[in-house]
Amino acid sequence: MSDDPSVVRTRAASVLEASAVLTSSTLEVRAQWLADSAATLMREAHDRRDALSQATGLSVPMIEWATRTTLDTIRVDSMLALARTAGMGAGRNPRPIAMLSVILAGNVFTASVRGIVIPLLFGVPLLVKASSHETVFPALLRDALRSANTRLGAAMTVVTFPGGDIECEAALVESAETVSVYGGDETVSAIGARAGNKPLIAHGHGVSVAYCGAQALDEAHIEGTIESLSLDTCAYDQRGCLSPQIIYVEQSPDRPTAAFAERLAEQGLARMGSTLPRGPLPLSVGAAQAQWRGIAEVEGTLLHGDSYAISIREPDPIRWSPAYRNVTVAPVHGMDEALQAMQAIGPHLKCVGTDAGSLSEVASRLADSAALSAYACVIGEMQTPPLDAPADGRPIWHGLLRN
Amino acid sequence: MTTRGELKARIDALITAFVSDQHVEAATRDELIEDLAAWQAERIPEYGRLQRRGAWPPALPTDVFRFRRIAAHPKEDDLRVFLSSGTTSSERSLHAYGDLSVYDAAARAAARHMLFPDVERMRLVVLAPQEDKAPDSSLEYMLARFAEWFGTECTWVWCDGALDLELLAAVLREAEASKEAVAVLGTSFAFVHAEDGLGDQRFELAPGSRIMQTGGYKGRSREVDPEILLEAISARFGVAGPWIINEFGATELSSQMYETTLREGIDGATGPRRLWVPPWVRATPVDPDTLQPVQGDAVGILRIDDTANLDSVCCIQTADLARRLDDGIVVLGRAPGAPPRGCSLAADQALGAQ
Repeated sequence: MSDDPSVVRTRAASVLEASAVLTSSTLEVRAQWLADSAATLMREAHDRRDALSQATGLSVPMIEWATRTTLDTIRVDSMLALARTAGMGAGRNPRPIAMLSVILAGNVFTASVRGIVIPLLFGVPLLVKASSHETVFPALLRDALRSANTRLGAAMTVVTFPGGDIECEAALVESAETVSVYGGDETVSAIGARAGNKPLIAHGHGVSVAYCGAQALDEAHIEGTIESLSLDTCAYDQRGCLSPQIIYVEQSPDRPTAAFAERLAEQGLARMGSTLPRGPLPLSVGAAQAQWRGIAEVEGTLLHGDSYAISIREPDPIRWSPAYRNVTVAPVHGMDEALQAMQAIGPHLKCVGTDAGSLSEVASRLADSAALSAYACVIGEMQTPPLDAPADGRPIWHGLLRN
Repeated sequence: MTTRGELKARIDALITAFVSDQHVEAATRDELIEDLAAWQAERIPEYGRLQRRGAWPPALPTDVFRFRRIAAHPKEDDLRVFLSSGTTSSERSLHAYGDLSVYDAAARAAARHMLFPDVERMRLVVLAPQEDKAPDSSLEYMLARFAEWFGTECTWVWCDGALDLELLAAVLREAEASKEAVAVLGTSFAFVHAEDGLGDQRFELAPGSRIMQTGGYKGRSREVDPEILLEAISARFGVAGPWIINEFGATELSSQMYETTLREGIDGATGPRRLWVPPWVRATPVDPDTLQPVQGDAVGILRIDDTANLDSVCCIQTADLARRLDDGIVVLGRAPGAPPRGCSLAADQALGAQ
């Protein structure tokens, strides 16, 4: 189903009409409302797990995992803490923008949660364009918001139309003060052109990587390292911008990278095939996968199972995988070499997952980097960012509040 | 130990048997594919690294031709190097030949069987640059050989990097007036540009005229649905649909496949439009996860085992989606997300299309 421009305008007007209720509510009321909505959404998503699986191409266990880990972050205490960090509460009330139009991407269905909940927490009414590939979850979220509080819930609504529909896109952005867009660089660029002089919060194409220092590979830590990396790689079938495409591994004579990769395959990715199975492989991805795997075999070593593959190869040149659990393991001599290799990714690098022992140094080196704006987190948590994790090198509330 | 000479002789024998109307057993071809693959794996390190999965030798992905020189002979023995279209070296596949005799034999036999089965020679009109203007294009090489093998005369309607619409119109008017059948050969891009540039001009080419188009759109130009383009070409040139056929080729391959309608029309046979697979080639849609043949007419990614690829790699894994249809193959195009590539992009770049 597709909405026409008049529907988009009508919905934008209804959202603006409800904005007074939203902005006059207290931060605490909004946080409670959003937490209640998350609880409702959790139940609804469970009931609709088959439909969500169908819509997203993810397996049912993955749907359950993704909704649980995402909605668990929508707690009153974490939201209030986030608001305090942003300078709200305790008598300080920076004014929210009048309205935000959000264009969602379809690759990670739960990405809409942070993209919708946080503006509402800050008192920003929302007009949301769902991805034409995935409309189920945004609609469930909308219904959950209304179910928890009808009046506040009216400050957010969803429209659907095919990307590239110029008239609908114009209608989507014309009432907004600011436009937020998730998607590929082409989408971001097209919406940017449509937005004209309005502020644009761009969440364009991104990739992530992981780095494991030698300590993460010793016998005391290796099991946890493999478990964490497997989860990071397999979550959302590696389709998100927080999914590691490359795992840089500090090599040493007594811990060959190939042996680590074999353990990652057998004890990690193969097991994930039964606990969090991969969704069906689209043919277009399959065609790219066959090419990537063949090149991996020609240029290095390929380990593969029923629904995953590991390419063991030098860090340079980077051969981007088609995702769907096709990951590169690249030996490096240490953090310097890994960070050097990441420079080539530049601003597209979103997140670097690393072992606990390396976290503070990786974070510090990223903060000092002129070329990289990625943030660091521990492996195993790459795909479950906390509510206050930065986005594209900026605070998550960037663009939502007036100075 | 098998030698190159022995393998070449076996490939030649397959093609010669076909040209002589002898039945070619699939088992003979399959045995040759096995022996070729084994010989090539010993000489081409990149191919030798691939592990066999299942009953057939491993297939080398076409993308490897973008990053590595895949050849059993040393670079100094290169006679000709073909490059696919693209704007940077990493986007262009490279296929080096030290010997073009097998390529020539395969190209000639396939075109004779499917494109010129009813005439020894005829007038050719080519919507592409001449060979000396695009020496690294396998398509231009093949079209130049067609002019030698099948042409009475050949007009190349491509001048100074652009389709010469005036010359095209003039040569077609002349053919109309003389009632001489012509073969119009070119890329899909070129036919779209002709369609866009010829305005109201329509032609009624003589019976026996035929059109061969090749190549996709590579995401670089106005795309036209294949059926709509076929109808447009038919209306523009006055050639019936069955006499307009697609050729499927690739820089990484030495053999071509042609749509069946022209040949079947001449033979008085009927069948769905599909690609004919030469008997020295094995074309198989495979499952992208297992790389094993798909069942029945399911869509898979197209693997082509081309025995005419003597000095490179015979077993090639493309990124094209395809399915079986009767005794042939239907190619559904490159999978979205796969890097666009192919012969016809060079022509489009020359036209400045974006």
